[in-house]
Amino acid sequence: MKTIVLGVGNPILRDDGVGIHVARKIKEKINNPNVVVDEAITGGMNLLDLMTGYDKAILIDAVNIKNENVGEVLSFPLSSLSTTHSDNPHDASLMEALELSKKLGQENIPKEIIVVGIVLKEIPYIFGEELSPEIAKAVPRAIDLTLNEIKRDMNLR
Amino acid sequence: MKQILIDPITRLEGHGKIAIFLNDKGNVENAYMQIPELRGFERFAQGRRAEDMPQITSRICGVCPVAHHFAATKALDDAFNVEPTPVAKKLRELMYCGYYIYDHILHFYYLGGPDFVVGPDAPAAKRNVLGVIEKAGVEIGKEVIKHRAYGQKITAMLGGKATHPVCGLPGGVSKGLNKDEVKEIETMTKSCIDFAKFSLKIFDDFVLANKAYVDFILSDPYQLATYNMGLVDKNNKINFYDGDVRITNQEGDEHIKFKANEYHKIIGEHVEEWTYIKFPFIKDVGWNGFTDGKKSGHSRVGPLGRLNASEGMATPLADKEFKRFYETLGGKPVNSTLAFHWARLIELLYATERVMELVKDPQITSDKIRNPVGEPGEGFGVVEAARGTLFHHYKLDKDGLIDKANLIVATVNNAGAINMSIRNAAMGLIKDGKVNDGLLNMVEMAFRAYDPCFGCATHTLPGQMPMEVKIYNNKKQLYKIIRQNM
Repeated sequence: MKTIVLGVGNPILRDDGVGIHVARKIKEKINNPNVVVDEAITGGMNLLDLMTGYDKAILIDAVNIKNENVGEVLSFPLSSLSTTHSDNPHDASLMEALELSKKLGQENIPKEIIVVGIVLKEIPYIFGEELSPEIAKAVPRAIDLTLNEIKRDMNLR
Repeated sequence: MKQILIDPITRLEGHGKIAIFLNDKGNVENAYMQIPELRGFERFAQGRRAEDMPQITSRICGVCPVAHHFAATKALDDAFNVEPTPVAKKLRELMYCGYYIYDHILHFYYLGGPDFVVGPDAPAAKRNVLGVIEKAGVEIGKEVIKHRAYGQKITAMLGGKATHPVCGLPGGVSKGLNKDEVKEIETMTKSCIDFAKFSLKIFDDFVLANKAYVDFILSDPYQLATYNMGLVDKNNKINFYDGDVRITNQEGDEHIKFKANEYHKIIGEHVEEWTYIKFPFIKDVGWNGFTDGKKSGHSRVGPLGRLNASEGMATPLADKEFKRFYETLGGKPVNSTLAFHWARLIELLYATERVMELVKDPQITSDKIRNPVGEPGEGFGVVEAARGTLFHHYKLDKDGLIDKANLIVATVNNAGAINMSIRNAAMGLIKDGKVNDGLLNMVEMAFRAYDPCFGCATHTLPGQMPMEVKIYNNKKQLYKIIRQNM
């Protein structure tokens, strides 16, 4: 079983890059040929391309979820996010891309996609590589949840 | 006396927010769209190694990394006083056309096309690529996926990951092509040319063959008579990677042609109180508010802007389509915002033909891919991003570190026009205070045609753009809110 762990976000847009900060730490902790850790400064179709060929994908990303506190970390299957229509101005949404590949009979997409989401309320519009204190505090928990998620299927204990 | 800004004309925050203001009769007076401007780039870049800029700026935006990568590389050529080798220029252009192939395919089949192929009146949930496939067939879906992947592969063969290229260096590129790679690119490109032709046929069958759609494209709310801007070669034909910036007027004649480093002489920036965007305008025409016509210095960029600003395409099949485009839509310039979609497909065909020309060039496998750099100084770089003209401007200190950096991105070049297009679409749908149900859709079509890039924030999950239209009465009181995905 091959797993890909992707930090999703923009590493030069402050808190938006939190997923990438977490992925870099995971990369230091994991040494297993069946687990690949990478950075994805992209979304939608391009994101799906990066996951193709793996059995399982773990996406670490900033998420905006109503009624959750900033800095909260949640892990959930991607399928529990709802989507209706791609209003993303350029690129299809990841869900749309997934639905498309299923419809076209593409077989090598991951059977399981898990999101480790760090709750963010506002996407920063100022360049920078540092995380805000409340998001930085969430990083250790995001690392733990991601490692648990990796180990759950891999018996790496 | 100090001017007091009355709410809601404060700086609009968040993305996809549109404010429509009505007059005392309940008709549209103005409309504004918030295009989030990423701030603080100059400070962020200051003191960094100039050679890192092609990598750093390609991270600015998840949708046009290749455009930023080469605008930065070209600015570095200029800043280090070095001319890239002839083959390096060709390799860069080849890779650049690969980016156009996948980017334009994505826009037509996933974003802009569904409104037409599925129909502007279809429910929102159907107006996406899945709706296109439902209507046009699963086989077409497979072709779309395949050729988008080919475009990415061509880009990646020279640049590493298509989403994060490493290739451009001042004076050249880091990697050339071998004979096997050339062969592979040729095979993929042959298929891409056929696919581009096929895509134009889809446009013919689904759009042009339908009189109602053609009337819709030519309808008043979607007309905008601005100036047009784009890069051209020495014959005034479109070039995505290199050339002079040409601006044409409402008669289709050349207004001015200039080099990237003259940008600040030719183009001014107008500041409005409600947004961080500085609206570019042609200085010798002047700023005349959000109006179109000859006395107003707005210009449009992107596929339609480029076609209008040029005298044709430099490859045979695309040039034939270029002529047909103007014959069908009533001569040059075409001012119909929705014609961006057709123009984009003509450019797709050009990109595929151009890759073929470049890859068949006997010089393309040469290993003379880099020239040595000179002393650091100031540099300008310009390319045509898929969505319009993109400028990078750097000042380097004596150690080759960034002292000043400024970027003018395509969506900013189109910002004034996007606002006017939204206003005009809204005008047709709000009469005497009555808001037509189709408003959101028609407004969406107006700005989607430009393929605007709203910065890199759009990839945060769940990955959809929330859209909110707020309509205000003549007393600036909130009258109605229409929301989607919020």
